[in-house]
Amino acid sequence: MHCPAQPSAQLTALHSSMHCPALHCTAQCLACPVLRLYCVPAGCWIRGEGSMCDSRSVRLTESVFFNQKSCQTGEVAMAEVAVQSRSSRDAAVQTDQSAVPDVQQGACVDDSGVLAFLRRVEEVVIKELNKNVTSRAFDGFDVNWTDQNRTVLCLHTLSYPEAQDQHLQVTGVSWNATGSVVACSYGRLNDGDWSTEKSYVCTWNLDRRRLDPQRPDLVVDAPSSVMCLAFHPSQPSLIAAGLFSGETVVWDTSKPEDPLMWRTGMTDDTHTDPVYQVHWLPDAKHGNHVQLLSASTDGKILVWREERDGRLMVAEGFALVAQQIPRSAQLRKLVWGEAAVGVTSLSFSHFDPHVFVVGVEGGFSLKCSTAADTPAPCRTGGSVPLRAPAELAFSPHSGPVYSVSCSPFHRNLFLSCGTDGQVHLSSMLQTQPLISLQLSTKYLFCVRWSPVRPLVFAVASGEGDVHLFDFEKSSQKPAVSIKQAVDECPVYCLEFNTKQTQLLAAGDAAGTVKVWQLSSDFTEQRPREMNHLEQLASELTD
Amino acid sequence: MVVNAEGIPIRTTLDNSTTVHYAGLLHQLTMKARSTVRDIDPQNDLTFLRIRSKKHEIMVAPDKEYLLIVIQNPSE
Repeated sequence: MHCPAQPSAQLTALHSSMHCPALHCTAQCLACPVLRLYCVPAGCWIRGEGSMCDSRSVRLTESVFFNQKSCQTGEVAMAEVAVQSRSSRDAAVQTDQSAVPDVQQGACVDDSGVLAFLRRVEEVVIKELNKNVTSRAFDGFDVNWTDQNRTVLCLHTLSYPEAQDQHLQVTGVSWNATGSVVACSYGRLNDGDWSTEKSYVCTWNLDRRRLDPQRPDLVVDAPSSVMCLAFHPSQPSLIAAGLFSGETVVWDTSKPEDPLMWRTGMTDDTHTDPVYQVHWLPDAKHGNHVQLLSASTDGKILVWREERDGRLMVAEGFALVAQQIPRSAQLRKLVWGEAAVGVTSLSFSHFDPHVFVVGVEGGFSLKCSTAADTPAPCRTGGSVPLRAPAELAFSPHSGPVYSVSCSPFHRNLFLSCGTDGQVHLSSMLQTQPLISLQLSTKYLFCVRWSPVRPLVFAVASGEGDVHLFDFEKSSQKPAVSIKQAVDECPVYCLEFNTKQTQLLAAGDAAGTVKVWQLSSDFTEQRPREMNHLEQLASELTD
Repeated sequence: MVVNAEGIPIRTTLDNSTTVHYAGLLHQLTMKARSTVRDIDPQNDLTFLRIRSKKHEIMVAPDKEYLLIVIQNPSE
């Protein structure tokens, strides 16, 4: 046996009359030649003489416990030999993340023993379970482990003066995988023209001490307006962005001289319209690998694969065509042939990796699946056949849907918001929304569920406000409304920070990104929130 | 779930990764609780352990060779 503090030291047995001098411990002591004493099997270190066991080491008098020995091996015979390989072959090995160990692996199961044990404890456990169900002991009992913060305050106001001089707007914000870096993309959202104006992607590291809100840590130039942005979910330095020209690019922020890693280029496969949403998709085949997905108003949703020369090639794709949208008996009012199917937003379900919800320019949301098989008619030539993913169409908004978000806590709930100023909370099981909230007379640009509280979501409005809604407090009006901009400058995008859950970043049309610190109301889950959420989700109308 | 004396789960109704996680952590906690009880009074021994958290209640019934762990949602 080895000494746990000095792994190279071998423990030796002491004289048999030596027992642990600590009170209540009757174990036989062993000597560690470096630290002098260690007791097994109770595992206690001894401090002093006769005091209580604790886990610190001690040196006792050498004459009593210490016994040093040394030894020398006999003559060791050696011979020298040389070897030369004549032919060689290259081979590569790659480890994959190992699967979770099986529950019953390595445990020799004695069924009759388990049965006897279960019979013994069954009564006690059932009695306790019943007591819990009827108990009122903990009603209204709440424990606060952390200091409660009552206010919402603006921690940082970040901007890039050069971009503001060009009157560029913040079109996307994203937090990185570690939650310490916020990136924002500059571009124009209200410009219908085909422009070749340069724009920027800026990152700030909020954990740096000398954070200068006017000077980003890294500024990356983009050849045209950047419309959307997404950080890689596990590698903290990769950002993907979708451009106005239809390209998708990936930058590596850890290489400031040449951050461009991959780009799609302008091939037959790339989007012909601005890319409004990029998303990193966990690969179904290789568990750790993620692929890039982009959605654009030309109706195509493409999944990209990285090639060696820095290009992105299409791995698979989906196309939404008006004739292939599933019809529902209740939505008779729409004229299908003329409804536009440009995709403006996309959100993947957190529970089922194949299911995603898409928001469309025509105003309705679609439930789609990556496992769909039916091919979509392709108007332009592409190298990869596109499939039609739509499965169910939901009741429409009266205007384009700008943002959809699937709930991280319930598999069927999702939010959608659009230009009619309404937010719909819908369930994937029915076409009519569960709750419709008229929040604003202007457009609503972004809606996001909170990553920690199942009943909270945030909405960015065209009036310059960020509304935080809490279904537990009120289902009619917002719990908190944060005024981001003084004049009515719309807030275009917002993101919660999943690692530091009290932070919320929002970007507006004046070119500033504000990082808000939320009050503790919004960062800690309440005891019965999941039940409330389940209740909301099950109020389906027939 | 049923866990043996070394902390290896034997029977479970939850998924694998959750089971392994709970089994490892609760086995250590039960041993610590047992040694605490015996330290205070060597004639005493642990019979049942209940941990109440915001979201649910965990109950552990210990034994010489096995542990029974039950997770219950509160009734409110």
